[in-house]
Amino acid sequence: MTAPAPDTTRKYDLAFAKWVYKNVNGGDKLSMCMQCGMCSGSCPIGVQMDYGPRKLFMMIRAGMKEEVLSSNTLWNCTSCYRCVVRCPRSVPVTYILQDLAAKASELGYAPKKENKRFADSFWWSARLFGRTDERLVTAKYYFSFGLSEGIKRGLDNLKIAMGMIKAGRMHIGMPHTVKGRKGLQAALKKAAEIEARQSGV
Amino acid sequence: MAGVTSQTILVVGGGIAGVTAALEAAETGYDVVLLEKEPTLGGRVSRFNRYFPKLCHPTCGLEINYQRIKKNPRLQVMTMAEVAGISGERGNYTVTVKTTPRYVNAKCTACGDCAKATDMEVANSFNYGLDKVKAAHLPHEHAYPMRYVVAPEAVASGEGEKIKAACKYGAVDLDEKEATFDLNVGAIIWATGWRPYDPQKLTSYAYDLSPDIVTNVEMERLAAHDGPTHGKIVRPSNGEPAKKVALIQCAGSRDLNHLPYCSRICCLGSLKHAAYVREQYADATVDIYYIDIRAHDKLEAFYNRLRRDPQVNFVKSKPAHIIVGEDGRPVLCGERTIDREIYKEPYDLVVLATGMEPSVVGGFAPTVGAVVDDYGFVLPEIGDGEGIFSAGVAGGPFDVSMSAQSATAAALKAIQAVRADGA
Ligand SMILES: Cc1cc2nc3c(=O)[nH]c(=O)nc-3n(C[C@H](O)[C@H](O)[C@H](O)COP(=O)(O)OP(=O)(O)OC[C@H]3O[C@@H](n4cnc5c(N)ncnc54)[C@H](O)[C@@H]3O)c2cc1C
Repeated sequence: MTAPAPDTTRKYDLAFAKWVYKNVNGGDKLSMCMQCGMCSGSCPIGVQMDYGPRKLFMMIRAGMKEEVLSSNTLWNCTSCYRCVVRCPRSVPVTYILQDLAAKASELGYAPKKENKRFADSFWWSARLFGRTDERLVTAKYYFSFGLSEGIKRGLDNLKIAMGMIKAGRMHIGMPHTVKGRKGLQAALKKAAEIEARQSGV
Repeated sequence: MAGVTSQTILVVGGGIAGVTAALEAAETGYDVVLLEKEPTLGGRVSRFNRYFPKLCHPTCGLEINYQRIKKNPRLQVMTMAEVAGISGERGNYTVTVKTTPRYVNAKCTACGDCAKATDMEVANSFNYGLDKVKAAHLPHEHAYPMRYVVAPEAVASGEGEKIKAACKYGAVDLDEKEATFDLNVGAIIWATGWRPYDPQKLTSYAYDLSPDIVTNVEMERLAAHDGPTHGKIVRPSNGEPAKKVALIQCAGSRDLNHLPYCSRICCLGSLKHAAYVREQYADATVDIYYIDIRAHDKLEAFYNRLRRDPQVNFVKSKPAHIIVGEDGRPVLCGERTIDREIYKEPYDLVVLATGMEPSVVGGFAPTVGAVVDDYGFVLPEIGDGEGIFSAGVAGGPFDVSMSAQSATAAALKAIQAVRADGA
């Protein structure tokens, strides 16, 4: 977990911090951050992030737009809210990461990321069935990397899948769905309309 | 305003601030009543091992003040007394005082026969409950007044009779009752000080999970010769020397979930604790975990002195949580913000530098003539009618010298308030 070293030849976007303060949900609270490290130290999966939240916030202030928006930090956050509960300055860390992920996605930074592929597969299942079907979500995610990669990943995890089926953790048969799927889809359509209106897209 | 009907100045709280304010006003020629809710004066300062910046023993500041009190007929001290109500206005306040029985009267010579007569023990509040004392005891070796106190538990259980029988001076009075009475005073100085922030509220620091996680006020007692370990800094869990010690700054302070303000003295307090450890063990290391070190103005010299010690390390990080390791030692977890590494570091002893919370939080606060701010600090109500002032930590997070300065200032304002000419 070492952050990029300062580089005098690199371009820093000095307006980036202000843009985050203004446009990202919770970003206005970012100026409260005193870099104490409580969030990064508390994060259960911080070691699996390119940069912990504290470091990411420093990078925002430093204007490292590219690194921030393409970091996996935004996508690896599991929304456990431990950082939010513990932050001594009430910085809503989780909200900021979530909305930064959305903004990164809008701005075209995210699609390369595995997490985005997973989120898309997850959302596909949730939208279609009103539930997440582990098999289909996993399959869709694996095959989003291409046919041969999909088969490879599937075979690599076959043992786990069998174990889960045996333990009743993954079912075989038709996907489970919610009652009234039509209603769900109508609700989602409406929500998308409202969102589009609000974000002015 | 109805004019001044009483020129007596009431000082509430007998810590270093209250004692200073009371003496300054009395020595200027005004009648002063000093109320203290504990059995002895001295407040938190008496519970220090030593105090910064010069690391003198608390006796050095307190003893000289006690001599001044004894010499001054204008100053009346009441212990085990607190305020239950205030009404009126500048020059004419009616203050309701409530007293708690000590069960020992002024005939006490502090001979100690009463303590010898009983085996009953109670938690020792002077040592923050880290050990026990006899049910009849002197609050501590430097108490003022130098007078024993009998625990209410002993009176309730009948053990009091044994204690009473042992006193050859007739000083034990088991019939004392709680009492209330009114005082008429012209001005009030609020000097009720602070209490340590409750470490149990800092859930991720696991205070309850290990005896080797202590607070800074407990550390003072561990280092003090009259403390539970007779001054040896050891691991409370097993009595072994504490040679790898972590001091955690801002344990509660500067935290919107706890005390939003900086308690100001904890950095210096912890530097002092590092000095205690290093004096006792040549091979000890001390890691101070901090957000910023706030060694204001003249206190920076003390900070620099400790920085020169290669066995005292300053780690910029607010630890995220403490877990108890397999060997029973507390393990600090967090991120170091300078080298940006995640750490998991075991220690013999962890000291939480808990901040100072004003005593009025959850206790009695003046209901007229003063404002209590969002944090519980008492400030005078600015205007012509000013008659209530604050001194010491009741008014803000101060160290001893700032508390004494604010006490002198409060005494002067109180004197101005009770002068009939208003000058
Ligand atoms: C760990 C630690 C170490 C410190 N070390 C140092 C140091 O080395 N040097 C230094 O300069 N400062 C130090 N300080 C700061 C120091 O403790 C304070 O500056 C000092 O105690 C302030 O004195 P005070 O009289 O305002 O309050 P207190 O000492 O709290 O005294 C207040 C008194 O009022 C009494 N009281 C409370 N409520 C009532 C009531 N309702 N009625 C009647 N009486 C009441 C209390 O019983 C107490 O006796 C330290 C603080 C901490 C937390």
